[in-house]
Amino acid sequence: MTRVLRALLGLLAPLLALVAAFVITSLVLISAGDPVGEVWSEILQVPETRNVANIVNQACVLYLSGLAVAVAFRMNLFNIGVDGQYRIAAFVGAVVAGEAWLPGYLNTALAIVCAMAVGALWAGIAGVLRATRGVSEVISTIMLNFISTSVVAYLLREAAVREEGSNTIGTKEIPEGSRIGPIPLAAADSGPTAEIYGFVVLAVLAGVAYWFVMSRTRFGFDLRATGQSTTAAVASGINVRRMTIITMMLSGAVAGLVGLPILFGEAYSYGSTFQSGLGFAGIAIALLGRNNPVGIALAALLFAFLEEQSNPLQILVGVSPEIVAITQGVIVLTVVISYEVVRRFLTRREQSRVAKAERPADPAGPADPAPTQDQEARA
Amino acid sequence: MRRSSTTLAALFSASILALTACGGGGDDTASDGGSDSEGGSDSGLKVGLAYDVGGRGDQSFNDSAAAGLDQAIEEYGIDPQESAAEDGESESAREERLRTFVDAGYDPIIAVGFAYEAAVAKVAEEFPDSHFAIIDSETVEADNVANLVFAEEEGSFLVGAAAALKTETDNVGFVGGVETPLIQKFEAGYIAGAEAVNPDIEVQSTYLTQIPDFSGFADPARGKTAAEGMFDGGADIVYHAAGGSGGGVFEAAAESDNLAIGVDSDQYETADPSVQDVIMTSMLKNIDVAVFEYLTAVNDGEFPSGITRYDLSVDGVGYSTSGGQVDDIADELDEYKQQIIDGEVEVPSAP
Amino acid sequence: MTETSSTAPGDPSTPLAVRLRGIGKRFPGVIANDDVNIDVRRGTIHAVVGENGAGKSTLMKILYGVQPPDSGTIEIGGSQVKLSSPADAIKAGVGMVFQHFMLADNLTVLENVVLGAEKQHGIGRKARAEVRRISDAYGLGVDPDALVEDLGVGARQRVEILKVLFRGARTIILDEPTAVLVPQEVDELFGNLRELKKEGLAVLFISHKLDEVLSVADEITVIRRGTTVRTVVPADVTSRQLAELMVGSELPSPGISEKATSTRVQLAVTGLTLHDAAGRALLDDVTFEIRRGEILGIAGVEGNGQAELVEAVMGMRPGATGSIVLTDQDLAPMSTLRRREAGIGYIPEDRHRHGLLLDSPLWENRVLGHQSRPPSASGRLIKRGAARADTQRIIDAYDVRTPGTDVPARALSGGNQQKLIVGREMSGDPILLIAAHPTRGVDVGAQAAIWNHIREARADGLSVLLISADLDELIGLSDRIEVVLRGRLVGEFDPSDVTPEQLGSAMTGAGSAA
Repeated sequence: MTRVLRALLGLLAPLLALVAAFVITSLVLISAGDPVGEVWSEILQVPETRNVANIVNQACVLYLSGLAVAVAFRMNLFNIGVDGQYRIAAFVGAVVAGEAWLPGYLNTALAIVCAMAVGALWAGIAGVLRATRGVSEVISTIMLNFISTSVVAYLLREAAVREEGSNTIGTKEIPEGSRIGPIPLAAADSGPTAEIYGFVVLAVLAGVAYWFVMSRTRFGFDLRATGQSTTAAVASGINVRRMTIITMMLSGAVAGLVGLPILFGEAYSYGSTFQSGLGFAGIAIALLGRNNPVGIALAALLFAFLEEQSNPLQILVGVSPEIVAITQGVIVLTVVISYEVVRRFLTRREQSRVAKAERPADPAGPADPAPTQDQEARA
Repeated sequence: MRRSSTTLAALFSASILALTACGGGGDDTASDGGSDSEGGSDSGLKVGLAYDVGGRGDQSFNDSAAAGLDQAIEEYGIDPQESAAEDGESESAREERLRTFVDAGYDPIIAVGFAYEAAVAKVAEEFPDSHFAIIDSETVEADNVANLVFAEEEGSFLVGAAAALKTETDNVGFVGGVETPLIQKFEAGYIAGAEAVNPDIEVQSTYLTQIPDFSGFADPARGKTAAEGMFDGGADIVYHAAGGSGGGVFEAAAESDNLAIGVDSDQYETADPSVQDVIMTSMLKNIDVAVFEYLTAVNDGEFPSGITRYDLSVDGVGYSTSGGQVDDIADELDEYKQQIIDGEVEVPSAP
Repeated sequence: MTETSSTAPGDPSTPLAVRLRGIGKRFPGVIANDDVNIDVRRGTIHAVVGENGAGKSTLMKILYGVQPPDSGTIEIGGSQVKLSSPADAIKAGVGMVFQHFMLADNLTVLENVVLGAEKQHGIGRKARAEVRRISDAYGLGVDPDALVEDLGVGARQRVEILKVLFRGARTIILDEPTAVLVPQEVDELFGNLRELKKEGLAVLFISHKLDEVLSVADEITVIRRGTTVRTVVPADVTSRQLAELMVGSELPSPGISEKATSTRVQLAVTGLTLHDAAGRALLDDVTFEIRRGEILGIAGVEGNGQAELVEAVMGMRPGATGSIVLTDQDLAPMSTLRRREAGIGYIPEDRHRHGLLLDSPLWENRVLGHQSRPPSASGRLIKRGAARADTQRIIDAYDVRTPGTDVPARALSGGNQQKLIVGREMSGDPILLIAAHPTRGVDVGAQAAIWNHIREARADGLSVLLISADLDELIGLSDRIEVVLRGRLVGEFDPSDVTPEQLGSAMTGAGSAA
């Protein structure tokens, strides 16, 4: 009964947020003098298959990023460094896969493991600093982002192969046998193909693993308990320092996966046009998805969907791409607010239920109001 | 139509229409944004321009491409639409930008910047009947793709020589925006030019940011700091290839009574009057000329394809003379120019 | 109203300082106050008594402008007022001394008093003179130039009172002022309060300690479940009657029936020493033993090392030296988790900070501290079903009043939260229970239940280390009492022949250890 209601209310929050975002964005459009009707009809059209593929692909990448942030969030750690972690990890993964020391998918597996290890180590630096020196992971991961940028730029220069006449540089291409083949979404009808990354399967597995670890294992329990209350965690026997380091490393390991769908499914090398900024999107997505594996997936799809609107809005409707960015921001804000509203409502309900549960025992117990009346009369 | 409407969409748009009493249908694919398409005879040509990050108004190479487009609009009355890349966007977003142009009937489509290299290659193959041009990349080989590339190192060689001829400290500087192979061409040419004049000259060189941080093209404060460091280190002329960050280089030069060299367009004309005097010359990279020439050909009914190299021989690159500060060394510079054109001097394109 | 200084308590002709009528305040799911009516006369000490959670604090917050009432009227000095902030209340002449002092340690008394009230008398000589004047007029004996960090608890409280008077308060609210004081200090405080009322001020005194209330108050208003039950004059009631008014039932007593301690030592602590970062001793060579089935009470003024002792035994304090042996196991090298697994149950002093995950469901709170042991875990996995079932067992056995195991801990009242913690810490058959203030902030019903559970477990052989600020609880429950002062054990007492006063003396270091 309550669980059903809880689930319904859980749906209510994002719905509320979307409606609010719809209204606010419309107002922004009106004040910017943009054609509101056209914008919404463009956005709300059923996307073509190839757009669906783009959305799923982009969502896959964003999902992994959101998951990486969520791991740390669950322990109340703010891993802003997913961006730097995934870039350095993708670079290392690309180099390893490009060198192809192992044949076929063994090479792929090795590259994935290496990428995750590098991401874990990179994030682990922040974890160790936090655990041993009390350095805020917010500060250290931001710094590590900068360092990661420079390190990758330097190493890329060393490792780069450059095609004659091209202005881009990149690592060695991954041999065909080690690429992760796409899943065709529909037969290519006219020109563009609609394929989704094979890596989507791995992303789904990562989500399942996240859910299982967080909600079913002792490790996940310790992690969440520490996130809720460090003091209670210490009293319950959790080694908070150790958990801090492990959690940051786990978050970094997941971050190490972020760039890999692109690497193995599309770019086949790490170069100057490799997508950046995914780590920051992950923060918003984890927030939006409330650290819930399904919620993060929905949030990633929503973000990818909105990003996919950017081009048609500019080209077909003539709206600036900033509108899309504004919409994203508005949605994150409204979701956060509406979740808070719903949460308060639930808390209120919960409290009144508890109050009811506590009360029936009172009249039955010794605290009968009647004697008081008597005493009052006596006095 | 590229998409089909749904009732939901209709419902939403209807409510919004009622709300705003705003006219306009839902599926109108004609453009109503972008720049004005008035003036000139209407050629009926629909041109799509896909900018790199920053888009029109970046005071750098996007603007340069836009200038070429504007000239074509004026003279041929074409129907343009523009779209800019976002920072950190995915490869598929770039592809989708080009596809959206194709779907909406734009032909040709000009992609500004090497970032579109892979996207143009892929989409041009998907749509063999559409035509594309890409600036700063010569790797895409297709019958329906024109590669508009520049010999930045040659122009940079000349301003490097100019700097070496003008310097009194035998110490000059180079500030690159973002360390990419493209900007390294500027650096390589500049150093070669300076050393051609004076083999013992000291050339300080730095980049503001590294890939994927492209803020080095739009960070005047950082540009200023970098240039100040070079002036403090004994340089008296600093050349920048840093887009919008160059403003800071000019400021640093003005404040320390030194000189600077501009890039891409004649910055003596476009820079703030307060720093005009410090701009000794500018390395010209005439993207506007390339865009306009391409559109002229298209307007004449011909879609160019393959590599068009804009180098010194066709005045695709060069140096500016506004302000008259290099007039006294013009002869020497023109001599170098001729030697490069004749192949007597080989200019390296990588440091 | 005319200005008089009549002090006749209970005399209806004495002018009213505060008059509350029909005050109501609801919180989500809870009625904190409902139809509260109180008349406080000038020149009297008016006590408000009630169990924890009866609504006293809410009422005082309303009177001090911290929270607006949902209904009812407040009259101060005869005119109706609307208090929407403490500033309004201060303007109306109402001041409040909180249970937790709000003083800056590194400032002098004068600076603390003047802070935020600079406009009253400036910050210089005039202010110092005013502080002296108030201190002398009410016999507070406060030196304006003393550093607050050098002052004891009682003196700090007097500074708080002075702060309120300095701001021109004519009605002073004291929230549980004796909770932090030892008996001697309580007497001093009451002396000060009598001075205040002599000068025509009204004092609102909140407490649940009935003996104190009966000794100092002129009138007593009893609050039960959010509403005022009655107002009585001390002469007309006994402590027992007052208690019955408060709870509507007979008061439980912590008394222990039989001495059943064996001779087997279960916990032996030897030479336990702990220093803070500055090298001061927090624990200084602490040595004691607890035998099987024995409850050892630790008495002491708060901040004398009790918390550190608990944390050192639990392994939450790195740097402690000395030996801690539980039955035959040396605990020193063990982590907190291992110590728990070795058989220590822990009822922490601050259940919100150390005992619960407030936003997690009850069943997850059941797992907390037991995440490595059955029934809540097996191997590396958490057994949700078993944890839920065992939570239900605790709910039933310990009378935790909740609609289910999925309710977040935050939703429960303090007493029910505490019962859950006690139930949890008793599960897994601990050898040693460390109970820090086990009944602090819980209602009388829950208090009796918790005492019962501890007593029963003791009868089954459980050793208990009991830390409490409630001397009645210590005396009633313990088999032995050790007094801790500045990190040292300074005396052992037999609870059967010690009075709270004797303990108080030992706690402050004033008397000689028995």
